[in-house]
Amino acid sequence: MSRVLTIALSEGRALLRNRTAVISAALFLLLSLMAILNAWDQFRYAQGLRQTYQSEANQTFDAQPDRHPHRMVHYGHFVFRPLNPMAAFDPGVDAFTGQMLYLEGHRQNSANFSDTRQNTSLVRFGQLTPAFCLQVLAPLLLIFLGFGVIARERENGTLVLCLTQGVTGPQMFWGKTLCLAVVAGLILLPALVSLAWLATQAMLGWGLTLAILTGYVLYLLIWTIGIVLVSRYARRGREALLGLIALWAFFCVFVPRIAPDLIAHARPLLTQMETDIRIHKELKAMGDSHNPDDPYFNAFRQKVLKSYGVSRVEDLPVNYKGLLALEGERMTSALFKAYADRNFGQQHAQTRLMDGVGLLAPVLAVQRVSMSGAGTDLSAYQAFLEQGEAYRFGLVQHLNQLQATALTYADDTNKARENRISHDHWTDYPDFVFRPPAMAERLERLSPALGVLALWCGVLLGLGQWSALRLERLMK
Amino acid sequence: MTMLRFEWLLLIRSRLTLAALIVLSVLSIFAVARGLHEVARQNAVIAHLETLQKNDMSDLAKAYGPEGDAGYAAYYSFHHTYDPPSRLAFAALGQRDVLPYNLRVRALGLQAQLYEGDIFNPELALPGRFDLSFVLVYLTPLFLVVLLHDLVSGEAESGRLTLLRAAPKAGIALWLRRAGLRSALVFAAVAVPFVAGAVIAQAPVAGVMGGVALIALYVMFWTALCLLTAAFGFGSRINALVLLSQWVILVLVAPTLAHIAISRSVPVPQGVDIVLKHRQLVHGAWEVPKDLTMQRFFHSHPEWKATAPLGKTFEWKWYFAFHHLGDESVAADVATYRGRILQRQALAEGVGYLLPSVGVQAAMERLGDTDIRGYLSYQDQIKTFHTALRRFYYPYIFNRTPFPEANYALAPRFEARPYSGGIRGLYMLTWAALSAGLGGAGVWLLRKRIA
Repeated sequence: MSRVLTIALSEGRALLRNRTAVISAALFLLLSLMAILNAWDQFRYAQGLRQTYQSEANQTFDAQPDRHPHRMVHYGHFVFRPLNPMAAFDPGVDAFTGQMLYLEGHRQNSANFSDTRQNTSLVRFGQLTPAFCLQVLAPLLLIFLGFGVIARERENGTLVLCLTQGVTGPQMFWGKTLCLAVVAGLILLPALVSLAWLATQAMLGWGLTLAILTGYVLYLLIWTIGIVLVSRYARRGREALLGLIALWAFFCVFVPRIAPDLIAHARPLLTQMETDIRIHKELKAMGDSHNPDDPYFNAFRQKVLKSYGVSRVEDLPVNYKGLLALEGERMTSALFKAYADRNFGQQHAQTRLMDGVGLLAPVLAVQRVSMSGAGTDLSAYQAFLEQGEAYRFGLVQHLNQLQATALTYADDTNKARENRISHDHWTDYPDFVFRPPAMAERLERLSPALGVLALWCGVLLGLGQWSALRLERLMK
Repeated sequence: MTMLRFEWLLLIRSRLTLAALIVLSVLSIFAVARGLHEVARQNAVIAHLETLQKNDMSDLAKAYGPEGDAGYAAYYSFHHTYDPPSRLAFAALGQRDVLPYNLRVRALGLQAQLYEGDIFNPELALPGRFDLSFVLVYLTPLFLVVLLHDLVSGEAESGRLTLLRAAPKAGIALWLRRAGLRSALVFAAVAVPFVAGAVIAQAPVAGVMGGVALIALYVMFWTALCLLTAAFGFGSRINALVLLSQWVILVLVAPTLAHIAISRSVPVPQGVDIVLKHRQLVHGAWEVPKDLTMQRFFHSHPEWKATAPLGKTFEWKWYFAFHHLGDESVAADVATYRGRILQRQALAEGVGYLLPSVGVQAAMERLGDTDIRGYLSYQDQIKTFHTALRRFYYPYIFNRTPFPEANYALAPRFEARPYSGGIRGLYMLTWAALSAGLGGAGVWLLRKRIA
């Protein structure tokens, strides 16, 4: 064991003496520090803005004058997707998703005003966040620092020298790995501290924080062992560097771009416009409440009349127009939900395929752990859409209910009359509160990816030990 | 010429070089194929939606035609607007995966309709598209680094440099020939698939030439960087390291820093503000005296002043008037919003003069008309069409002319915007000068070192 430490220490001294290594590590740390500060600042700005908008929207909704409840159904409400502080660590899909949802009767609007729509293409180059630094830049830095750990010894002829003097292959291999792993730990440190701090701000819970942490530790460990392995097989440092850069470009730049493109092609989504048209068509097939001879709504009227034991809608104790509105909204919303569920199902199928590709590229697995843990993934966004829709349905039905009970049919059908009810009815309606997906659900989503990372790590550890044992053959 | 042939023989004997060139060609061909396929898919989606919309419209005409009320017709008729990809879009799909290229609009307030988005999976959009501009901007420099990082140092390390120097025809020409041949092959690996794709897509010749020039300039820029780096006389390992750091900075780090700087310095008034204000105005109109609304409307539409005054019950002309007033009253905010987005885009393009990585991406998207400028011009086209729609319905609504089934077919049809992309000549000149400067400095240094 002490030999492993000695080797690690001497490699560490060699790294410290190497000026390019020290400078690049310092630059990387500076960059991650900048990323952290920028991401936090960005988060506070965006979050502040959305909170202001939300409270403004709540106030204007509450401040609406006395009105016909159906006017309020059309007036609608706005809800804003709140950001959690973890978005400062990994913003995930935040820039690409709409931040505002307009809720109104009879319609389900798409969330709009994503950052991408008011920004330049520069946003597609990626964003400087702690997660980006760890996922893409840290492996590159480790490659620069570690490509020569064994290859250089071989090039200089010191490798055989060490081995003949009684150092075993595994001692050599794991000593070098240990040194590089410690460097990786040092690189990871500022991001980890920020992660832990943000996690307390977001009240993330230790389970999730630990999961994200483990994800990154495993990810960098995969690179560390991988680098030493390549370095062990390369005849020269140059070969190791080239090979490792190729691997990095393949895993961190190429696969993340090509995989989604192929998946989007293999499983296309229904467009918004077609969804709207289809919903509209299906609704028309079901019935038209404005048509006095419509079979569906005639049957509905008969059912209502029967349940109240009267023969004319005018004799109902409630406003029949309100009942119609309630029934109509129930039908449209059921269809909206069916289509939304299908759309979410398709998107999840896409995402699952992407997770499958994660088996081949650890960077995708660590992205899954990071995004899902931070609550900035597709599911968190869909949770917002679903809760927004549930809130919309509740609000619209509340107003329709008011139309049914607070207004009489006679007044409501009199076109010359202005029907209004007190604004207290909307002032008292509870505000929208977004509940992010629960910890258990998020852990469930990210754990397969964590498993993939552990698997990679395990396989590389095994490969490392196997190749380390074979190192001693060099002496013969 | 014989010298060049010798270089060629040397080159094809090196397995690494050959493999790198083949891999790059395969990637380019694949990217072009994907781009062409995606363009075809987007066109098919537009055609499919057009048919759906047409059927929807004829159903509507049957349902509301017998009553012949233009108010209902204008209220219920959605019209399909679309933004087909340009003939060069296959090379740079740009923002077309996240910005909608289909939108239904009707004659009501446009500002409440304009910002609807299409359905896409944000997790798949996150890393960006795999198209030729990606292969060019991100991957091509990596291949150039692999092929050129040991240009001089490789010979020095294998001990041939002294020999080469002593050779009768020694001098800078050898290195230039070698570098020139290799980067010409890299250029061909990207440019040939691009031209082939452009021929399939029937792209205009000027645009194809612009694209080829962009590829050539970007390859030249990186070749110049490689030459300059080689001229400092480090070993191959350090050269590779230095060049890769340049790549990381130019392609990964600097663009994100520029993005931060730009979005900080040009705050875009949130589009949300427009929509919130618009809703307030449109829905508030129910509380405003109807005559006041009509007076305001006549201000910009005096031609309808003489029509019959409003009665006590609901009237479509009042409804459409206050919807339009909603649009009118946010017009200034919309202009600012649009202006700021363009300002950001102009700054990003400005960054492109210094960072060819950013510039080439921007120029490719401009060539394909797939960037935010293209999207804004699609929005302008929607706005023009929306005005035509209103003008079409107004006479029926204000004069209370019946609107029978046959009239539905008379409504104006959306016409796709013309190609608004182009070639950024100034960019190209700047990069040519930049590459010439860097390359020249490299050659000068090399000559001093070798001679």
